Amino acid sequence: MASGMNSGADLGVGISDCETDSLAPIDSYDYDDSIVRKFAGAMLLWGIVATLIGLGVAHLLVIPKMFGGSESLSFARLRPLHSSVALYAFLGNGVFAAIYYSLQRLCAVRIWSSVLAQLHFWSWQAIIVTAIWTLPKGFSQGRSSAELIQPINLAIVLVWILFFGVNYWMTLRRRRVQRIYVSLWFYTATLVTVPVLLTITNIVLPVSWVKSYPLLAGVHDAVVQWCYGQMSNYYLLLMPFLGMMYFFIPLFTGKPIHSHRLAVTHFWALAILILWTGPHHLNYTAAPEWLASVGMLAGLLMWMPLWGGLINGWKTLRSGEARFSDSLVYRFFACSLIFYGITTFESAVLSMKSVSALTQYSDWTIAHLHNGMMGWNGMLAFGIIYWLVPRLFNVNLWSQRAAAMHFWIALVGVLLSVIPLYLSGFTQSMMWNSLDELGNLGYPDFIESIEASRMMWWIRILGGLLYLVGLILMTANFALTWLFRVKESCSTLKDSVEDILLPDSSSSYQQSPASGPLDNVPVLDTARSLEKWSHLEWHRDWEFKPSRFVILPILGLLIVSVVQLMPVLFSRASVPKIASAKPYTPLELLGRELYLEQGCYQCHTQIVRPLVAETKRYGDYSRAGEFVYDFPPFWGKRRIGPDLAREGGNKQTSLWHWRHLDNPVSLVEGTVMPSYSHLLDAEIDFEKVTNAIRAAKLVGVAYDEEMEVYVQDARDQAERVAADIVSTGGSIQRGDVLTLESQGVALIAYLQRLGTDLNAPVTDGKEP
Amino acid sequence: MDLDSSKVSSTASHSLANQEDTLPTWWKRIFLATVLFCPPYLFWHYCGASGRTLAEQYDVALAANMKLQFGEIGELSLTEDNVIKYLYEDSWLKVGRAVFKSNCVSCHGSDGGGLVGPNLCDDSYKNVKQIGDILKVLQKGANGGAMPAWQSKLSPNEIVLVSSYVASLRGSNPSVAKPAEGREIDPWPSLPVVELSDESEEQQNESD
Repeated sequence: MASGMNSGADLGVGISDCETDSLAPIDSYDYDDSIVRKFAGAMLLWGIVATLIGLGVAHLLVIPKMFGGSESLSFARLRPLHSSVALYAFLGNGVFAAIYYSLQRLCAVRIWSSVLAQLHFWSWQAIIVTAIWTLPKGFSQGRSSAELIQPINLAIVLVWILFFGVNYWMTLRRRRVQRIYVSLWFYTATLVTVPVLLTITNIVLPVSWVKSYPLLAGVHDAVVQWCYGQMSNYYLLLMPFLGMMYFFIPLFTGKPIHSHRLAVTHFWALAILILWTGPHHLNYTAAPEWLASVGMLAGLLMWMPLWGGLINGWKTLRSGEARFSDSLVYRFFACSLIFYGITTFESAVLSMKSVSALTQYSDWTIAHLHNGMMGWNGMLAFGIIYWLVPRLFNVNLWSQRAAAMHFWIALVGVLLSVIPLYLSGFTQSMMWNSLDELGNLGYPDFIESIEASRMMWWIRILGGLLYLVGLILMTANFALTWLFRVKESCSTLKDSVEDILLPDSSSSYQQSPASGPLDNVPVLDTARSLEKWSHLEWHRDWEFKPSRFVILPILGLLIVSVVQLMPVLFSRASVPKIASAKPYTPLELLGRELYLEQGCYQCHTQIVRPLVAETKRYGDYSRAGEFVYDFPPFWGKRRIGPDLAREGGNKQTSLWHWRHLDNPVSLVEGTVMPSYSHLLDAEIDFEKVTNAIRAAKLVGVAYDEEMEVYVQDARDQAERVAADIVSTGGSIQRGDVLTLESQGVALIAYLQRLGTDLNAPVTDGKEP
Repeated sequence: MDLDSSKVSSTASHSLANQEDTLPTWWKRIFLATVLFCPPYLFWHYCGASGRTLAEQYDVALAANMKLQFGEIGELSLTEDNVIKYLYEDSWLKVGRAVFKSNCVSCHGSDGGGLVGPNLCDDSYKNVKQIGDILKVLQKGANGGAMPAWQSKLSPNEIVLVSSYVASLRGSNPSVAKPAEGREIDPWPSLPVVELSDESEEQQNESD
């Protein structure tokens, strides 16, 4: 901290006019905004890509043959790509643009290293390109929220720490405004927490560049997936955006934040609570019930801390002079906050057990996510960029009219994307859970819920299309403004960042005032200190110490892990043993790989919940002990097709599966499942058994025979399944491929195994 | 005088943290309420009383559902007579229909016209010579496993009722009909007269 002793106020970094301020060296106002421009532009371009992929995915639900049944462009391959691009490329680039802009201003210093920033930018885009290249090929971890293969996720962590983190931290250390503002608390907490969560999620066993196995199976890996993987995404969608809101809304209105005290309270409440909420996603699953209960309560406790941001944002926005009728940026900010209010309230409600019983696995989850990402995150980012454009390019926006149009198009786009999904989610959950007056399933055939959703799926395509049109308009507007920019070393539009955001940054602020209102009142000393404590004066000192915002969130993560998650991850008691559960046979392992590569888990869950309507439809509910050989478990998030946890045991014949994989529509009228005939046409590589068995042995499954035995075992089982198919009327050969060598047989062997262990005889796991 | 001046200085020094910067009351109250909700909730669930975990609640709900569905008929034995009896009781055929819709339509078509499995609406049957054989096929499977055995997957009541429902499909007009397989068999027997009178007497007694 070379310039550490100078307080920012003395340096006059209220950022007035740089020409008049001849005393200060020119570089002090020469912030690096080229990096901001790049990230902002990338955000818009990737936003178009993300929306395009999303539209493709949405189309595949109503026209399954849209892309000619191409394997790489199937729903299950594109869906994870859509969310990865939307999260890391669209919103991720937006976050970095906003952080690079606001960090420099809040610290009143140029970014520590422009080279690192450029490296950050280009490597981040490279990561996204790699994701787009790998996911459609079926390279995936097959884990919810950790679909990208391990090297990509680790690259994200490395780029984050080395290129972004170091630069951020060094800039913060060299800051000339000593007091650190609310936004920086949120950024810093994100900076340290996200890479830790991602790293923990990706402690997996790599067997090649594109293939890895989680070290823990079943329930244990599910806890890692949802409490670390999922939470890293959630963190990224919440915390930095709140930081952005705290920076850009006050600067836009020209008024300080409504309540500093509320900001302190809700920031720390969020930072402490957020990671506790993870397990609520596991309500009703085979994960320990107490864990889900704690997650649920944390979700409920989060409600008011989340709304603390809403109150502060809204009141600050209203305190300025701009109004809906006269300001474009106001419109975006106001809408974003309204979506934030809805989606955060919904988060609290959705974490309730009785609500999840209804909404889990339906389109409701998808609606909730899009509400948050398109409404809250997207609209906020649009507003910020429109506000930034004249500051970044020294000219006015190329077309105000296009921007005004964008607002309405985007708003209608969000509403049309989200409302139909809420309706279809509600319809689906009602149909799945309905029991008639006699206690029978109201809609026993699963396909009825799909048919009831189809109209809604069409409407939401229209919504996505509008959002895309809006994004294209904005991108063109942004690009044209960039083209006609005025090149100057320093922007002519100056915001008095410090006057507005940090009016009291003197070192006297750091010391809490010696006197308090109770000073002359005859009360106990404890009351006096309690009164002081409740006024958060202790926090004044903290606001000069960035390390607090690093150490405490990490400490919080540690406490959550030790108190809440470790007991589950490392105790056998959380998974009551089922004696009849046996490791998969070699052929079933190969089938499992196909299930993962094809992404079947994107549409089929593998968890039957303990609800009467559910067990009537699918069979007995799933037990923790059934998943001990699942590396990873395919519990899934959404049911576009029926649950498969109890699919095995000849519920459908193998011939039925064969024909169903070949042409689903011929057996299930109205199904949206694409044909998997390419699996039937491909031969099994029996040598792959070796890899699968070796990996399973490494993670601790007992396969003690010689490798040749397993290869032979796989061939024998394939022959048995094929014999079953042929004897019931299937053909021996399909093109050049013998049925007994077809990959379809491996997948069918796996499907026929699913959920059969629970009631299998205990003594002997081998088939006759 | 003294008092006044101290007041002034204290408010001045508290410019940011103290003055008008208070947390909204409703916000504090709801937050407090959510905090206070947690301990009783956890205690209620995990104090050790039975019937409060999800698994236990499920068992209760399942028992209630079974009672609602089958309380009136009790546990049916797997006999031909029962299949005939419920073939003529529409309300119970509806239960059979629900079982059929959840388990059988993927092979036999949504209205029994046949897909991978045979058409159930015509007069020809592959493994059924008389109505009771439907029960056997359902329990043990047929055609070398092409028709799976349902003994362990469905309750006896469900097997009887779905048998009656399958029998009732005969003569209906499916939207897509697979060509006939197997041999044509005699029509189903009608309800034995004696039982019918018993039944109606019983019903009369009940209504009295």
